[in-house]
Parts: sequence; C-alpha cells; structure tokens
Amino acid sequence: MPTILEVKDLVKKYGDFTAVKGISFNIQEGEIFSLLGPNGAGKTTTISVLSTLYAATSGDATIAGHSVSKDPMAVRKVIGVVPQEIALYEDLTARENLNFWGQMYSLSGKALKDRVEEILEQIGLTDKARDKVKTYSGGMKRRVNIGVGLLHKPSLLFMDEPTVGIDPQSRRAILDSVKDLNRQGMTVLYTTHYMEEAAELSNRVGIIDHGELIALGTQKELTRQVGEMETLVLHVDEMQDVQRLAKAVEALEMVRHAEVSDHSVTAIVPEAEEALAPAVTKANELGIKIRSVDIREPNLEAVFLHLTGRALRD
Amino acid sequence: MKKILAITFRDLRVRFASFVEWLFFLILPIVFTLVLSGGTGAPADNRVRLVVVDQANTSLSTELITALENSESVRPDLLSLDDAEYQFDSRRVSAMLIIPQGFAREALESGTLTLELRQQPNSLNALVAQRSVQAVISRVGQAVAIARNSLAEAEALRPFETDAARQTYFDDALESAQTLLAEAPDRLTETQGDTPDQIEYDPRANSSAGQLITWVFIPLIGLSELFAYERQKGTLRRILTTPTRKGTYLFGTIFGQVLIALGQMTLLVLFGILVMNLNWGQDVFGLAIMLVAGALAAAALGTMLGTFVKTTGQANGLSIMLGMVMALMGGCWYPLELFPEAVRSMVKVLPTTWAMQGLLDLVLRGQPWTAILPEAGVLLGFAAVFFVIGILRFKYE
Ligand SMILES: Nc1ncnc2c1ncn2[C@@H]1O[C@H](COP(=O)(O)OP(=O)(O)OP(=O)(O)O)[C@@H](O)[C@H]1O
Ligand SMILES: [Mg+2]
Repeated sequence: MPTILEVKDLVKKYGDFTAVKGISFNIQEGEIFSLLGPNGAGKTTTISVLSTLYAATSGDATIAGHSVSKDPMAVRKVIGVVPQEIALYEDLTARENLNFWGQMYSLSGKALKDRVEEILEQIGLTDKARDKVKTYSGGMKRRVNIGVGLLHKPSLLFMDEPTVGIDPQSRRAILDSVKDLNRQGMTVLYTTHYMEEAAELSNRVGIIDHGELIALGTQKELTRQVGEMETLVLHVDEMQDVQRLAKAVEALEMVRHAEVSDHSVTAIVPEAEEALAPAVTKANELGIKIRSVDIREPNLEAVFLHLTGRALRD
Repeated sequence: MKKILAITFRDLRVRFASFVEWLFFLILPIVFTLVLSGGTGAPADNRVRLVVVDQANTSLSTELITALENSESVRPDLLSLDDAEYQFDSRRVSAMLIIPQGFAREALESGTLTLELRQQPNSLNALVAQRSVQAVISRVGQAVAIARNSLAEAEALRPFETDAARQTYFDDALESAQTLLAEAPDRLTETQGDTPDQIEYDPRANSSAGQLITWVFIPLIGLSELFAYERQKGTLRRILTTPTRKGTYLFGTIFGQVLIALGQMTLLVLFGILVMNLNWGQDVFGLAIMLVAGALAAAALGTMLGTFVKTTGQANGLSIMLGMVMALMGGCWYPLELFPEAVRSMVKVLPTTWAMQGLLDLVLRGQPWTAILPEAGVLLGFAAVFFVIGILRFKYE
C-alpha cells in the first residue's frame, strides 16, 4: 500500500506554548488511522497544520507527494476536512451550504448540482434540504458538516471529533458512514477521545498526549505493550458498599489495580477468569451481592492508563 | 472569478436571511428620510419665516418688504412690535426685522439708514434670514450708490442749474439703477465676496442624502461583524482548507457587501427622485462616482475594524455606534453649518463629512461631476488607507 500522508518531526507553537512537539507518522492509502487523545492533546492543532491552515513551526508533512508547507494549494485539492466545530452558515439551508462549499472546491454547473444531491442523499437530509441549518438538531448539523468535506471526493479525509455532543443514534450513523466511505476507498484520519471509536474504526491508532505521540500501532500491538492485561468488571446492586469491595479486590494477589465507577468495580488483571472466583468470594464475605460480571479484552483505555497514569476521560 | 461570485452570492443570502435586515436596508432609511425632511410635500413653502415690524411705513420700507417677499429663502410676516417680540422671545421665530421710523429715501441718500435684525443664537434659519435681508438691503443700497455716482459724474460734466433739477436727475438715476438691478438679481449674490458663503439648505435634500449615508455606512462598517462571524464559526478556517486563495475570499466578501450597498443606495436615490421630487439625477456620472467612493470608504473601514474586534456582538455594537456618531458628526442629520467653526474643521477627518458634502454638491447645489472630484478623491484615500491596514492586519486563524 502506498503512503498517502507522511508527517515528519512536526512542531507547532502558539507563541511560547508548544502544542505539538515533533510528531512523526505515516498513513497508508485505504487506511483508517485514529489519533486518540484527551482534551488539549494537540489533535486539532495537528489536523490544522496538515490541512494547510496553520504553518508548522518546524518539520513538514507531505500529502500525496505535495508538501503541506510548500504547495498548500495542491494539498487542498486532495484533502477533505471535517472540522471539530460546525463550520456552516446557519442562515443558509443545507443545500445552499453544500452549493457554496462545492464552489469553494471548484465544482460548478451540473457536476456541482448532481454532487450536492448525491451528498444530501448520503447524509439523509434530502427532505430537509430546504430548511435553514440553524433549525437542525446537533446530529443533523454534524451530518451536513461531514457532507461538506466529501463534496470534491477527496482521497484523504480529515475528521476531527465528528461525534462530539450528539445522541447515540446519530453517533452510530456517523461511525457506520465512516466505515462505508473507507470501504469505497477513502483514506481517513480520524481524531477522537473515545477509545471505543478508535477501537471500532481504525486499522492503526496513534495515541497523543501533551503534544507528543506516545504510542503508535495496531490495536493488538498497542495492547501488547500493557502486558496483555484484561479487565474484570463486577456490577453490584445499588445501596451496596462498592468502596469496600474495591479495597478487598485490590488486595487480591493477582489484581494490579481496582477502581470504582458507579455501582461497579473495575479491576486490571493478567487473567480475568482466574481472578473471578476469589473476587466473588470476597464479595460474599462482605455480604455484597454481585449482579453481573464483565470480562474485557485488553483495550486502548488500559494502554493510555498504563502509559500516562491517567484516565483518557477527564 | 466564479468563486468571487459564489462568495458574493453567499453574502447576499446570508445578509437577507432574516426579515429584520429589510428594516435596516430600506424601511428605516425611508422612514427617517421622510421624518427629517418634514414629509414629501414637494412644492410647499420651505422659506424661513421672518417677522417684520414696519415702524416707518414709507415707500422705501414697502419696497424693502416687497423685495423680501420675492426672496427665495425668506417669507416676511408683518406683525406689530409687541406680537413680534412675544413670538421672538418665546422662540417661535428665528429672526425678526425691525424697520425703524425714518427709514426713507432721504436717509438712504445720506447714508444714515439703519435696520435692526434680531436673531436667535445658533439658528440656521436665523442665518438664512440674515443673509436674505443683507442681500436685499445691499441691492437697494447699491442702487443708491449707482445713482450717487452718476449724479457726481453728471455734475462734473455740467453743474445743475437748480437743486430741483439735481434732485430730479438723482431720482431718475436711482429708478433706472433699481430697474436694472432687479432685472439682473443674480449678479448681486455673485459680487458679495466678503460675506460668508450662502448657506444652502433644503431639509428634503439634506435628509435624503444624510439618511442614505447613515444607513449605508452602518451595514458596511458591519462588514467587521461578518468577518467576526466567520472567524467565530470556523467557516473562515474552513474556506482556507479549500483550494481558495485568501485574496479571493477577501475580495469576494468585500465586493459582495459593496454591491449590496450600491443596490441599497440606488433604491434610496430612486425613492428621493420619485417620491420626494429631489433632483438626484442632475449628473448621473458624478453621482455614481460619489456612491462608489463612499461605499468603498465605508467597506474599508469595516474591513479594518474587523481586525480589531473579537466577537460578532462587539462588531455589531461598534458598527452601529460608530456609524451613528460618524453620521451625526459628518452633518448627515443636521447641517454642518450649525456646528462651531472648530468642530467643522475637526469633522473633516470623517469620511461621512466628505460623502455628505459630495452628495449635497450634486443634489442640492446642482454641481457637475468635476466639482465632486475632491470629495471622491478624499473618500478613495480613506478607502486605500483603511484597506491597507485591514488587509495587512487580517487574521485568518
Ligand atoms: N490558537 C491557539 N492559541 C493558543 N493556544 C492554542 C490555540 N489553539 C489551541 N491551543 C492550545 O493548544 C493545545 C492543543 O489544542 P488542540 O485544540 O490541538 O487540542 P485537541 O486535542 O484538539 O483538544 P480537544 O479534544 O479539546 O479538541 C491546548 O492546550 C490548547 O489550549
Ligand atoms: Mg480538538
């Protein structure tokens, strides 16, 4: 697979503050690549430099062979951008917005008209195309926001946290459409702070924190780094003392770490099944009733915790 | 080029998305124009009322009053002294003229003639009245001077035999001088180099031009709001990730707003012509120059302001406030002649002042396009300076 994006030692400073501290990675054609990181990690800044909006302080990137710093116009023709914010004209309708942005992508005439209708169909807003964007729900706005980035059939699509602040149903629809687009041959650079999204979508994941790429690889490769830990989750009834249970579980020999989240205890263990029986015994001793049990394979959340000592979500 | 049109078209759509915009675009300007002009009544008597008290009751005083009645700027209203003083003291009239006893030809000949003109302070109408009275008196006075001169000339050639013959000669000379001067009244105005410029003021023309500038400048300065909106919403950043140049974006956006402004001005001018009977069309070429120059200056100001404001709210407040203040100070709501001399020279730093003077040259003073070139030049100068600052300072991030 040929490389479509090559990032080399990219640094971006805002005044004295360094938001991106020299990151390097490649994306292959046909891949979905996720940048996973918490708020303020530098995801948007990275995408802004790659989409030629900001000049890099040092380092460079090439997209389809064009340097981002030296030939931004050539780069812009190849990329589609779905920004984190809803960058639309609220007073215009969805169709008017698509028409305008299509013209900005140098489409015109019948090609533009056909493409706009095609996108409206694709994002499921043909019926609402005559309504002003400001009357739309958050999920509908997000869909138009994505549609604009697809107008000129880019070979590389940047999507910056496209599911923030919307209902689960719209989120599902967006994740499915990303997979659809990828199946049709589009390469995607996807940023998110939801580890499940990165896990579900991507071939490879880059974990970014404080402007640094702290891990990079397939999910398997990354989880192997944490030593193949599994997660055991014990769900208990309300009104039970989870704190005491967590203490007792953490005291078990094979448990590395145990954490309380509402009405459940999450334990990081090398072998979940092995830890299950002793944990249940402890619960019985304490008179705490366990309602259900989950065993999870090693995940990116655990990787992030392992690498930074912090949870991905704040 | 297609992109410029696309951006321009977007400007139009965004601008007229809500009905409220029409309020600012046409409805308010027209309402204000009408209110400030005192209605559309085209041929109504717009002359300034001048209360006249005739204590002399001589043929000369009657002659003076007739001359005033024929004036284009004042309308004499004969009253008794008491009535006149009452009206003047209660500020119901801006000027009163008292023709004292002894206002007769003999006094005119001996040069001891006096008149009393009382004026309200700071009143444009009083100034208008003063000017008209002066013009009339000087016309009468000039006739006497001519008669005296010709009498002296005649005497130098051949002395008069009797005083009666001398008086007859003088009376004849005066009469013919009066007739001649009456037939060429314009020459009088033109020869008065030492009196201040004649104040030309027509509430309808002033209000039409002034409101046009006010309501076109405000939204053009509001261009800063559009820039703030695009920065806030992220649409500006998005445009800059498409294959569109910064210059195309800036030009298209500004061009769109200027085009809207020109459309608005055309409609307001048409309103002035069709409804208010104003003479906007005297020099269409000059008018076009003035309107384009004014729109560019205001759009440039908006572009520059756009680089200083952070939010749409700020931009909105600032453009309305600045537009209003500039319009008020630039003489768009009240004639500049009402302002003290010092203020009058200070407000020359405002583009509105120049725009207003240029438009008045055309619609009120009926001057040709060559006369407004200085004003248009100054406006284009403003435009150049503001655009350069605005474009150099423009932040895309
Ligand atoms: N224009 C700017 N000027 C100064 N600092 C900035 C600017 N934009 C971002 N930053 C800072 O740079 C850091 C990285 O920001 P960035 O927006 O790239 O993070 P992010 O990973 O996209 O976060 P989020 O998930 O919240 O979108 C943050 O600390 C942010 O405060
Ligand atoms: Mg971000």
